[in-house]
Amino acid sequence: MTAALRWIPRAIVLGLVVYAIFGPLANLALWAFAEQWYYPHKLPVTYGLRFWHQVFKPRGDALESLSTSVIIALLTVALCLVIAVPAGYALARLRLPARALIMLAFLLPQAFPSLAVYINIARLFYGLGLNGTILGVVLVHTVHGLVFAVWITTAAFAAVDRDLELAARSIGASALRTFLTVTLPLAAPGITASAVFVFLESLDEFTGTYFVGVPDITTLPLLMFTASIAGNYQIAAITALILLIPSIGFMLVVERFLKADVMAKVGT
Amino acid sequence: MPKHEELLRAPVKESRILPLCLVAPALLTVLVLFVYPLCYSLVTAFVDKGGQPTLGNFYRAFEFYSVDIGFTVVIVTLSTFAVGVLAIAIGGYLTLGECAPAVALLRWVYRWPLFIPFVVAAQCMRTFLAKNGLMNNSLVSLGLLDPQSTVGFLDWRGIVITFVWKQLPFVALLVSGAMASLDRTTIEAARNLGAGRLRILVEIVVPQVRPTLMVGLILSFVTMMSVLSVPIMVSGESPTMITVDMAFRINNYGDYGAANALGFISYALTGAAAWIYLRRGIAGGGKP
Amino acid sequence: MMGRRIATVAAALAALMLGPVPAIAQKATLNVVTAGDQNMVDYVKDYLAPIFEKNNPNVTVKAVGTGPGDAGSQKIAEKLAAQKTNPSWDVDVAVVHQKMAGDMVREGLLAPYVKDVSTGKLTTSPTAKSALGQNVEGYVIPMFQSQTAIAYNPSMVQTPPKSYADLEAWVKANPKKFGHNGIKGGMSGVAFVVGWIYANAPNSDKLMAGPYDKAVADAWGPAFAKLKDFNKQVTITPGNAGTLDMLNRGEIAMGPVWVDMFYTWMADGKLPPTMRLALIGPGMPGQPMYYVIPAKAANGAAARKFVEMATSPQVQAEGIVKKFNWYPGIDAQHVKAQLDEKTWNKLFIDVSPQDLAAKAKPFPVKEYFDAILQGYEKQVMN
Repeated sequence: MTAALRWIPRAIVLGLVVYAIFGPLANLALWAFAEQWYYPHKLPVTYGLRFWHQVFKPRGDALESLSTSVIIALLTVALCLVIAVPAGYALARLRLPARALIMLAFLLPQAFPSLAVYINIARLFYGLGLNGTILGVVLVHTVHGLVFAVWITTAAFAAVDRDLELAARSIGASALRTFLTVTLPLAAPGITASAVFVFLESLDEFTGTYFVGVPDITTLPLLMFTASIAGNYQIAAITALILLIPSIGFMLVVERFLKADVMAKVGT
Repeated sequence: MPKHEELLRAPVKESRILPLCLVAPALLTVLVLFVYPLCYSLVTAFVDKGGQPTLGNFYRAFEFYSVDIGFTVVIVTLSTFAVGVLAIAIGGYLTLGECAPAVALLRWVYRWPLFIPFVVAAQCMRTFLAKNGLMNNSLVSLGLLDPQSTVGFLDWRGIVITFVWKQLPFVALLVSGAMASLDRTTIEAARNLGAGRLRILVEIVVPQVRPTLMVGLILSFVTMMSVLSVPIMVSGESPTMITVDMAFRINNYGDYGAANALGFISYALTGAAAWIYLRRGIAGGGKP
Repeated sequence: MMGRRIATVAAALAALMLGPVPAIAQKATLNVVTAGDQNMVDYVKDYLAPIFEKNNPNVTVKAVGTGPGDAGSQKIAEKLAAQKTNPSWDVDVAVVHQKMAGDMVREGLLAPYVKDVSTGKLTTSPTAKSALGQNVEGYVIPMFQSQTAIAYNPSMVQTPPKSYADLEAWVKANPKKFGHNGIKGGMSGVAFVVGWIYANAPNSDKLMAGPYDKAVADAWGPAFAKLKDFNKQVTITPGNAGTLDMLNRGEIAMGPVWVDMFYTWMADGKLPPTMRLALIGPGMPGQPMYYVIPAKAANGAAARKFVEMATSPQVQAEGIVKKFNWYPGIDAQHVKAQLDEKTWNKLFIDVSPQDLAAKAKPFPVKEYFDAILQGYEKQVMN
């Protein structure tokens, strides 16, 4: 009896939490399928897929923006990994002067409000002809994603058991060969996690693209923003749902990617 | 074993340059694409169009936007505070909660907005928090609210709600992770002595996870300080956040001076927040 | 073999990263860049582009929007100025607001193309010659003329206001039921603020005629102070669309809107069909958007063809008037001949031609315009 009574406040609080988290999301889903929705109707007047056709029509922007977004995100991941994997290895395994300071340097882009920096990057890029190019946007996303790439790869390399490397070296493998055949494969899950982080960060990035890419580069978040500002809530909601799929998917599996042993070493 | 040690040290001894070469590309990227523009913005804030040193940009920034600067401080501080309190509550329940199904449900639910972009969060809230949006509509339908007395939240309050909704999972994830890795013996000991769960949370758990909590909150503070989409989409213009003003100055007038002055103010606010954190860290006796 | 493949991939990647969007080979791409709300981009993309491509199969039209308000036009001007020394520019046709048009002419960014286009003679209105006091003759053809007005919900507003003074009284009696979007979220709010100055400041005729006199602008203090008080009783909406959306959802009963957007939203089922419009006195501003061709457009000939098509009486009738509810950019008699009475009159259901003649105002000359916007930021918002 008392146990049942204790469930009442608990259920109310949990219900509120669930409502607070899912209410806004449910609202988004409703808008994506609402064809007409006006006051005083509390729910959409008519439902349908009319706006889905509009979003995915051959001449529509959504598919183009989606591919632009994915291309940018993939290039950002590639660039980040190319520069972060050597750095991560050096930070985890080799002797570096002022190592802590170097680690902190990668945090800088997250430690300063970035908007003011973006407007100046945009201004500098104008002079270099990089504004409105894919490369310009990729560079901006790379800087922002670098902290995940470097910190997580560093942690991943640090978590690799040294004895395995030593075993490889003692049977005559060169340093490079040991790195390629032992260290890198063992650190791969952590590096993958950092790649996913960078990918998501790039896919969702708004402010930097707004200053550096617009009007020539329209990524999905910018398309969504434009639709929302223009009052095309259905189109905004549909685009938002497309953006939600990778975000929520990753949220559900993040712990499988980032093992506790790597997590514990992040930022150290 | 000594042989192993030798092997490990060998390549390091061979080259002192190698590690630096490996780090250099990444470091250069940050220096060229972040530190340089950052310095550039700091300098631009203090010079006029002709390149002469001036405080005119700051004068303009205050003349136009003193109210918005104040509101930015209020919005971001309030959001950070709310995120901190709620993250402790969630982490605390996940660590100390006794009802397994409730804990499991909460653990599954609270993380959903973790990776949701700010633009999407803003779009959700824009239609959810409106006066006749889904939130008020559902409250009215449940009979909890009188249709005449509904209020919209599409102003600075909406910004705070959106920020908390979006940032809470991040901080809660960090905090609950730190709480989970605490040594449980002190907690159990306190429990055996009859201490209530709230007391255990406040007096034993929170002090130990404070560094993690503070790092999470500072990162959130900085992130919220530079969000442009949420204030534009959720609230009208007056009052709003200085990010909107910076974009407006540049887009409408090409006035980089005043925009960078506002940028400088946003760095200064962040610096102040970090300073308070460091001081409290030292005062608290723990490492920052 | 392997090396060649890598080289090909690398070249493709480089091309991908340096070009804005991969261009389709052989076919020429006509870049049409539009400032303004999404409906403007939609108009180019969904209406003009298919017609033009049908008649010119070797050209692909690419429409790009740069965002609402003068900021959108400013982006276009910046984009052109950044390429000033290049031999050819990547914008072929631009659609810009009045305020920037004058600047762009002065900075030599635009081509004097009107004489080379057969439809250039169809516009005789003063807006084709002067944009907010700046000479633009020969460089622009109006795409359309649009007008702001107050939209209201008749179930909540029994007697719609006839003037700014009426509106003030109504807002006092019905706090928070009027909404406008200020000056940062699009031009309908800007127009409302400008109309407020016309109504409440002395010598408002001077603002539209120029030349600029600082003493006139300095006398706006009381008008701004009154607006600040007024704003305390109203709802500030997020943008042009925000105002319409709040009207739609019954959250406000009245608000300034663009007439064309109002009718388009209604046709899309996003506004209840009962909504009405009122153009209040002494007047609210409207504006044209201009077709311009950059001085070094890469496809100048195709660009002129495009503008010629877009300003032809048929397209102005079908596209501008019938589909998008704008007032035509070229002279009315050419367009009216193309349409039946009913479609033409649809433009004037709520706002009569007499209303337009008496209460449709231009925006003020540029210096006054800037002074109003800056004054609003300083004295009303702060």
